[in-house]
Amino acid sequence: MFCYQCEQTTRTPAGIGCTSAPGTCGKDEATAGLQDILTHLIKGIAQYARRARAMGIVDRHTDDFIFYGLFTTLTNVNFTATRFVHLIQEATKRRERIKLLYEEAAREQGKTPEILSGPAAFQPADGLEQLLRQAPGVAINAGAEHLGSDVIGARALILYGMKGVAAYAQHARVLGYQSDEVDAQAEEILDYLASNPTDIDAMLEESLEVGRLNLKVMELLDAANTGSFGAQEITSVRISPIKGKAILVSGHDLHDLKQILEQTKDQGINVYTHGEMLPANAYPTLKAYPHLAGNLGGAWQDQQREFADFPGPIVMTSNCIIEPGKSYKNRIFTLGPVGWPGVRHIDNGDFTLVIQAAKALPGFATDAEDQRITIGFGHHTLLGVADKIVDAVKSGDIRHFFLVGGCDGVSPARNYFTEVADNAPADSVVMTLGCGKYRFNKHEFGDIGGIPRLLDIGQCNDAHSAIRVASALAEAFNCGVNDLPLSIMLSWFEQKATAIHLSLLALGIKGIKLGPTLPAYLTPTLVQKLQSRFDLDLDLIGEAQADLQAALTHTA
Amino acid sequence: MTNYDITIHTRDRQRVSFVCSEAEDLLSAADRESILLPSQCRKGTCGACVATVTAGSYRLGEVSMEALPENAQARGDVLLCRTYPRADLILEAPYDYDYIRFERIPEREAEVIEVTMVAIGTRRLLLRLQPDAQGGAAEFEAGQFMEIQVPGSGARRAYSLANNTNWNGDLEFFITLRPGGAFSTYLESALVGDRLNIRGPLGTFTLRENGLRPRWFVGGGTGLVPLLSMLRRMADWGEMLPARLYFGARYEDELFCQEEIRQIQDKLPQLQVKVCLSRPGNEWAGYRGSIMDALRDDLGSLAVSPDLYVCGSTRLVQGVTELALSQGLPDSSLRFERFLSA
Repeated sequence: MFCYQCEQTTRTPAGIGCTSAPGTCGKDEATAGLQDILTHLIKGIAQYARRARAMGIVDRHTDDFIFYGLFTTLTNVNFTATRFVHLIQEATKRRERIKLLYEEAAREQGKTPEILSGPAAFQPADGLEQLLRQAPGVAINAGAEHLGSDVIGARALILYGMKGVAAYAQHARVLGYQSDEVDAQAEEILDYLASNPTDIDAMLEESLEVGRLNLKVMELLDAANTGSFGAQEITSVRISPIKGKAILVSGHDLHDLKQILEQTKDQGINVYTHGEMLPANAYPTLKAYPHLAGNLGGAWQDQQREFADFPGPIVMTSNCIIEPGKSYKNRIFTLGPVGWPGVRHIDNGDFTLVIQAAKALPGFATDAEDQRITIGFGHHTLLGVADKIVDAVKSGDIRHFFLVGGCDGVSPARNYFTEVADNAPADSVVMTLGCGKYRFNKHEFGDIGGIPRLLDIGQCNDAHSAIRVASALAEAFNCGVNDLPLSIMLSWFEQKATAIHLSLLALGIKGIKLGPTLPAYLTPTLVQKLQSRFDLDLDLIGEAQADLQAALTHTA
Repeated sequence: MTNYDITIHTRDRQRVSFVCSEAEDLLSAADRESILLPSQCRKGTCGACVATVTAGSYRLGEVSMEALPENAQARGDVLLCRTYPRADLILEAPYDYDYIRFERIPEREAEVIEVTMVAIGTRRLLLRLQPDAQGGAAEFEAGQFMEIQVPGSGARRAYSLANNTNWNGDLEFFITLRPGGAFSTYLESALVGDRLNIRGPLGTFTLRENGLRPRWFVGGGTGLVPLLSMLRRMADWGEMLPARLYFGARYEDELFCQEEIRQIQDKLPQLQVKVCLSRPGNEWAGYRGSIMDALRDDLGSLAVSPDLYVCGSTRLVQGVTELALSQGLPDSSLRFERFLSA
């Protein structure tokens, strides 16, 4: 196996990437190989879908599968090898179907259909062992020995960015929000990847195209979330348990949470959010459910302890799942793209089993002391008080803004983000998003003239909100975003962060500090090219105090 | 008295260490440090605590030759409850780290909901857990067993669960009556509403969750029971791996759970079932012969080698093991549980 898509991939003097099973994430060799084959087939689907679209044939189910399929291959989403065997079969059928539609349309229009090669012509083997033998030939590092790590790394940058895009697009689609423009562009980029590109400069340009696509997708998802559940409101969220039966919902999918809330209505069960689901508590439609009782626990990497301690069933709606402990394996359920061998999967929207489990399990015996945090500072909230913020900057009450967030993880180097947030001066504001916030979101930050110094913007995809806010501030000050007293410290772990990072780079935002490491696939050559040819900053985090000082000096 | 360092490597390459004196058996020494290794009878009879010594010397106490045959002893297999160290030891255990418990095994009270005769010499016993501070759910892994205390006695008997983890607290058993057996005697007069003390779940005979090979289940008599649990689990979870069930008995009237198997097939259409009778009547339309005969036929014509889950007598387990290995199946594809008399 070979995988280096996430931050915790193996890095040793002997080489980079998880090359032996299990990978650091727990992925076994078969799952890794089957994911590679599925990804390859999805590129083949895109090859035909793009050409069909050019003939006027738009098949949204095909694009549904492209996004869903890619989402299953994200880090910490699906570890069930048997599921991938079936997804590979489905991908092959879908590719053949869109191929047929394309060829029929071409002939109807008096054109000779193109005969495509690469993923479009790839034939997955029937048997599992044969499939696994095919996997190295379609893995991201296929041909590395003669192509070199720079070409492979640039392809990886595009592919992993597209995986992030797919995850966000899938979340929007389940809420009924889809865009033909997005679908077409996704097909184009995957078709480009299917051509096995080798021109590094062209690939880096294409990676920025992924970033631009991701901006559209995050905007679509923002519209989906606010259109379905209202705009986030400033909300005091309870973060301690209440006596009674309980369900914990983790992951990112607000649509799944809504269904669970609806089905548990009046059943005497409290529903708590976990991890990236925290911002759900700020959406009016969701918080209107009186049994949405608050948020428990923190970021994904602590789930084995937190889930073991939770006295009810747990529902994992999207990434990030890690190996369930024996003590809770029977009471954790997966939805949508998520899977773990031996964990019960619900794919029909019926949460009866979860409700039965909640009623049978003990729940919380007592009320804990009421503890709360304040969330809900999406762009609607912040732009609503933009004049107040602008005044505070003009008066000197706010000297600097820090955007500190992204994905969390286990690396001790991530303490950097805590240090930055905690040591940001009293006349600065810390905006945060993603699960990286859990490192400091229970700390006391106070306020500046009524404006809280810690502003929780939402999930990682709410990076879109941060960009909206930054753009609005730049407009108010009649300057560019790079001229604002704003520093971005982005923690990354998986491919959604890659997509967000590419979006920020595509916008030309400079001075982003990325950590705890740079992605393994970004070779020194690629970093140097991004910096020189595209005039982008690609900085690794340094010492927290030094970076803070440098940021504030820049402001002055 | 000399103390030795004991290290056990689990199947998933984790390890657990404890100290054991030369006068103490390994299982008890681990217990003393609150490390509860999988075990059952603690008297060298059942074979549940088998492990393989890869380094160090030891003395092996008296063990059942069924549980630990000579050829197994020769390759270093031991029963932890009968192993006394004579040096630091390194062992390999045939289960994952998760199966080691670091807390007391739960003991709970359950009510008898149903006792019915389902075949000659076989009773179905349905218990329901009484809700306590841990709630009322019956959580266990398919293939595991429970120990039931014989009423009026301190003795416990281990029986495999036939159903699946569930939120009603139901525990379903199929029990072969043994003449004069302590629990069998109780079952003859058991009443709905009786309260029984149970301990568990226990056991490491469970599904290989991340396996990709077809699953073949081989059960003789009530050896079917843990396999039923596994098949129900596959059916309820919608697992898609190809599966076969070989269920063996001598006569038609020894068969049980035929309707349950049909219900599983409704949910698990890929399941092929071969009921093997070694002494069938003239009317029997199913397979005529032993499980071994059926397996010998089928294993010989394989494109993809399966994972085998075998439960039954020592003779059956040994026979299937030898057959499978002779057909080139890897040792790792075998999981088994033997029924031994307590």
